[in-house]
Amino acid sequence: MAAADLSRDLEPQRGYLLRVARLQLRDEALAEDVVQETLLAALAGSGFSGKSSLRTWLTGILKHKIVDAIRKKQREPTVAAAFGDVESEMDIEDFDAMFNERGGWDPKPAEWGNPQDALNQRQFLDVMDICLERLPPNTARVFVMREVMELETDEICKELTISANNLWVILYRARMALRVCLEQNWFART
Amino acid sequence: MFRKAVGHIISCKDASRLVSRREEAPLTAWQRLVLRLHLSVCAACTRFEKQIAFLRDAMRQYRQ
Repeated sequence: MAAADLSRDLEPQRGYLLRVARLQLRDEALAEDVVQETLLAALAGSGFSGKSSLRTWLTGILKHKIVDAIRKKQREPTVAAAFGDVESEMDIEDFDAMFNERGGWDPKPAEWGNPQDALNQRQFLDVMDICLERLPPNTARVFVMREVMELETDEICKELTISANNLWVILYRARMALRVCLEQNWFART
Repeated sequence: MFRKAVGHIISCKDASRLVSRREEAPLTAWQRLVLRLHLSVCAACTRFEKQIAFLRDAMRQYRQ
């Protein structure tokens, strides 16, 4: 792909990259920076083979830029404090509100019909964005690392210095919260 | 009756945690067994299991 074609194709991806970076970093300026670096790296490199989608390729570059940014942040103690402490979002008991005292669902998960139909609707992805933004910051960060950037669990544990058990709890909480948010804001309407 | 009793060796709360954990790491043989038995008698958790699988697909779509 010629450089001019590539730069024209990159522009529409910018919004998506910014959304992912914001969820990860919760820092507008830093998110802008990593997206900028990602687009520059994409233009400079010739790594795009056309085998994967452009977005998948860019997500791969963004992943590295975000991991670098997180590493850099963790080395700066004052910023690290503001970055939040993962442990504070670890309390699994919050979600016991979803269950009765005998561990049964209360309320029970609703029937979602054919949820796959939602995937083709632009509006559904907007609702998904809103639900992701409502998650506690570190919970969102871990979930996006896992499900959007597809980092392996041991990579995430290493980057954020949390145990595998902490990671499972955080991902569980993220899924429970997203499930409820989607149910209330999308599936309940139909 | 027996099936129902065996299915409730674990609660829905425990089953939901196993369903989520399975996304990250293989379960032990015992966890797989008790989860399977639970899902075979619990419509709510079967629904939850489908929703978690959908969430994974949805995030893939989000990336595409």
